[in-house]
Amino acid sequence: MGELWVDGGRCQGHARCWALAPETFEIDEEGYAHVIPGRENSGDEPNVRKAIRNCPERAILERETDDAGEKAEEVSTS
Amino acid sequence: MSTETERGLSHNKSDFDFHGRALDNIFDDYQDMLANGPVGHSDKYGGFWYITKSEDIFNAEQDPDTFAVGPSMLLPAFGTDVPLIPIDIDPPTHADFRKILLPMFTPMNVSKLGPGMRETARQLCQEVLAAGDVVDVSAKLARPMPTIIFSRLAGYPEQDWPIFDRWIDEIIYERTAHPETAYAAGRELNDYFDRLLDEREKAGPEADASNDLITQLLKAEVKGRKLTREELLSYCYLLFLAGLDTTAWAIRSALWYLAGNPQAQQQLREDPDLIPTAAEEFLRTLSPVQAMARTAKADTVVRGQEIKAGERVVLVFGAGNRDPEVYEEPNEIKIDREDNRHLAFGGGIHRCLGSNLGRAEMVIAMEEFLKAVPHFERANNDEPWHGVGPLTLKIGA
Repeated sequence: MGELWVDGGRCQGHARCWALAPETFEIDEEGYAHVIPGRENSGDEPNVRKAIRNCPERAILERETDDAGEKAEEVSTS
Repeated sequence: MSTETERGLSHNKSDFDFHGRALDNIFDDYQDMLANGPVGHSDKYGGFWYITKSEDIFNAEQDPDTFAVGPSMLLPAFGTDVPLIPIDIDPPTHADFRKILLPMFTPMNVSKLGPGMRETARQLCQEVLAAGDVVDVSAKLARPMPTIIFSRLAGYPEQDWPIFDRWIDEIIYERTAHPETAYAAGRELNDYFDRLLDEREKAGPEADASNDLITQLLKAEVKGRKLTREELLSYCYLLFLAGLDTTAWAIRSALWYLAGNPQAQQQLREDPDLIPTAAEEFLRTLSPVQAMARTAKADTVVRGQEIKAGERVVLVFGAGNRDPEVYEEPNEIKIDREDNRHLAFGGGIHRCLGSNLGRAEMVIAMEEFLKAVPHFERANNDEPWHGVGPLTLKIGA
């Protein structure tokens, strides 16, 4: 598990993550999703996994924590 | 393996269509195409390449420079040859136009409409019950609900709602068989919005506190200037056609399925929290928009198939949504399917602007219908799925 983030270049505002895991994702005024500050490490919670698997843009990514946050790697979607 | 097979052309469907009655038996065709020729060419509507695999559709949507929308995402055109804003606009201008209405369609803004939507659904369900034992729920609920809700949101005068159905039927559903009818209705719709905008401008948009979509469009600026009348008309035209009909189709499809599947009906009655999950499954399997078009801006290759610059390309969302590489038992409707990354609202920069509203209406319609109507089944048990037309149900106590 790494640090969760939503790639703003990919997110198109489907809001599936917010519908499935509102405790981790929030939606801004234009409808784009963000990880709620403090919830970056909730990636192993079942609702969050479900949100990741349902994001139509595959925009919820995970930063390798052992890589100083430089390397972003897509979460497995299996 | 022959070259033809490698190019995915062994099962080429030169008569592939995605409109009207062609949809009646489309799901077997989709499976055949997905398995035997996922990219192919149809001669319909001036000729187009079709793309059916979920992955290929996703990739095309993420690459708007290669798969552009101009001249039109609708194939054939929607009763007008004017590019519709924002779906027929390519980057970089596209984002400026889309941004205007994004805040109106966020889940938060949609949830503010919730109580009004529920009240409308309840009233319509009471009318269904009052209409007798055999009722066309398309006419009584699936069509009027989105019309009423969207018209209020957009600011269409209430006395005009009864005429909207004809424009939708003629522009969307007559356009393949009777294009001249669609174009005539398209002119009527354009003239309607021209008059409506005149009235609003006379009243003064700043004085209008209603905050509806038309007011937002009149106030909006793109690159520091107001929208021209032509741009306003184009935006209004698209919102009307996109906002009313797709949701009617989605509600109708959900009720069609539940009417034919008493076990699923019972499951949702016992566990209403499952309704949003079921809605996603209906969206996946019975998508209101089965396909949308693009135009190749450069020569490109999809799954070995060369596509030349200028050629039309149709992304078949309905097929991608039943791709066995993505979904287990893709043709089974499982109302509790939790992994459902479907393409029903499109993706990439043109993702359906109204998806959050459409979903909310669908869920509320199902919730209220299941509460109000203790039992319902199809009047004709063999009735195949259609997104349009009547849906006659036997309503029981």
